[in-house]
Amino acid sequence: MEKHQSRDDLIAALTADMTPVRRVRPRDGAAMIVCATLAAGIACVVYYGFWFGALTGEASPFYWISNGLLGVVGVASTAALVASANPRIGQRTSASQWSTAILAVLPIAAMITLISIEAGHDHGMGMDDPGLLYWKCAARGLAASSVIALAGIWHLRRGAPVSLERAGWLIGLSSGALGALAYNITCPLDSLLHIGFWHVTPAFIGAIFWRFAAPPLIRW
Amino acid sequence: MVADEPTFARLMMATQDGDKAAANVLLAEAGVWLERYFKRRIPPHAIDDLVQEVLIALYTKRASWDPARPFLPWMAAIARYRWVDHLRKVYKHESKELLEGDAVEDSDEEVVMSRVSLDRLFKQLPHKQSQVIELVKIGGLSIREAAQKTGQSESLVKVNIHRGLKKLAALVEEEQ
Repeated sequence: MEKHQSRDDLIAALTADMTPVRRVRPRDGAAMIVCATLAAGIACVVYYGFWFGALTGEASPFYWISNGLLGVVGVASTAALVASANPRIGQRTSASQWSTAILAVLPIAAMITLISIEAGHDHGMGMDDPGLLYWKCAARGLAASSVIALAGIWHLRRGAPVSLERAGWLIGLSSGALGALAYNITCPLDSLLHIGFWHVTPAFIGAIFWRFAAPPLIRW
Repeated sequence: MVADEPTFARLMMATQDGDKAAANVLLAEAGVWLERYFKRRIPPHAIDDLVQEVLIALYTKRASWDPARPFLPWMAAIARYRWVDHLRKVYKHESKELLEGDAVEDSDEEVVMSRVSLDRLFKQLPHKQSQVIELVKIGGLSIREAAQKTGQSESLVKVNIHRGLKKLAALVEEEQ
């Protein structure tokens, strides 16, 4: 907008053709992200097929623990993300940070287990685990997360985020966790080594990627 | 007299519903509030531009205010966002000199308040950075003069100003 000589001129120009606006509500953003997650999940199931082992009791505890934690991270970061579209000053919730820290236990546990195997303690696992090097799950989880990230960006562009870096982290965490969850329901590989390395990493990779990629897209 | 929280909230609700008269009053009152807000934070010559920028932001982003929440923290958050943006621009164009007479136009109280606010932030910077920012950006010295006065090389002065202003902007952004 051009610079005005006086503030009154600016105000007159701004309000010359004013119209009612639809308020930006966190629940609208949350609904968009839920819809995007469902769409990503359906697309994954259609393309890769649902893993029925989750329903027949075949899935290992790691499957449930990892997907449960991804869900918690997804919900906590989505709540913080949609709230950040409405400017405010005051206390911010740290739920997303704590839940992400808890999620980080899985790749750390997988790493320690790998070292233990090298040291001769296999705990029923081995380097011949077919899931150990199957990185495609992380790539597919990230691909699924992109549609969720777009929903988050759409909501933030409607609103007025005042901390762009934080919003970037939240977009990455939310979309990465929910995108991974959307894909993971199709994956039959459920060992700690596979899940710890490839099922939860989209949340961390997404957070780092969107921390840098999101700010130019949501700056206002 | 500046409008209070209930008045601002009422005017903003009407503005969101498309009431032009309410929008005019709201923006005029917000302008007065913002002037006070920025007087403690930026040089006087930059206040009007920044107030105009924030008024545009308040208007274009009016849909982002939730009537269930207080209005003034919402406006303050937007003002701070634009202020940080302003600091970033300063940091990007640090070779630009301060305009003469900035401090002269200030009232004693404003000068004191600015100093209190800046001193608090400066304490969080390494001494070498706050020293050259103060000399060049506030005192109006050239890079060469600041280098002679502090014993730092000219390139080190530039680096310290660059890093100091960047950190200053980050500190302001972090403040709640």
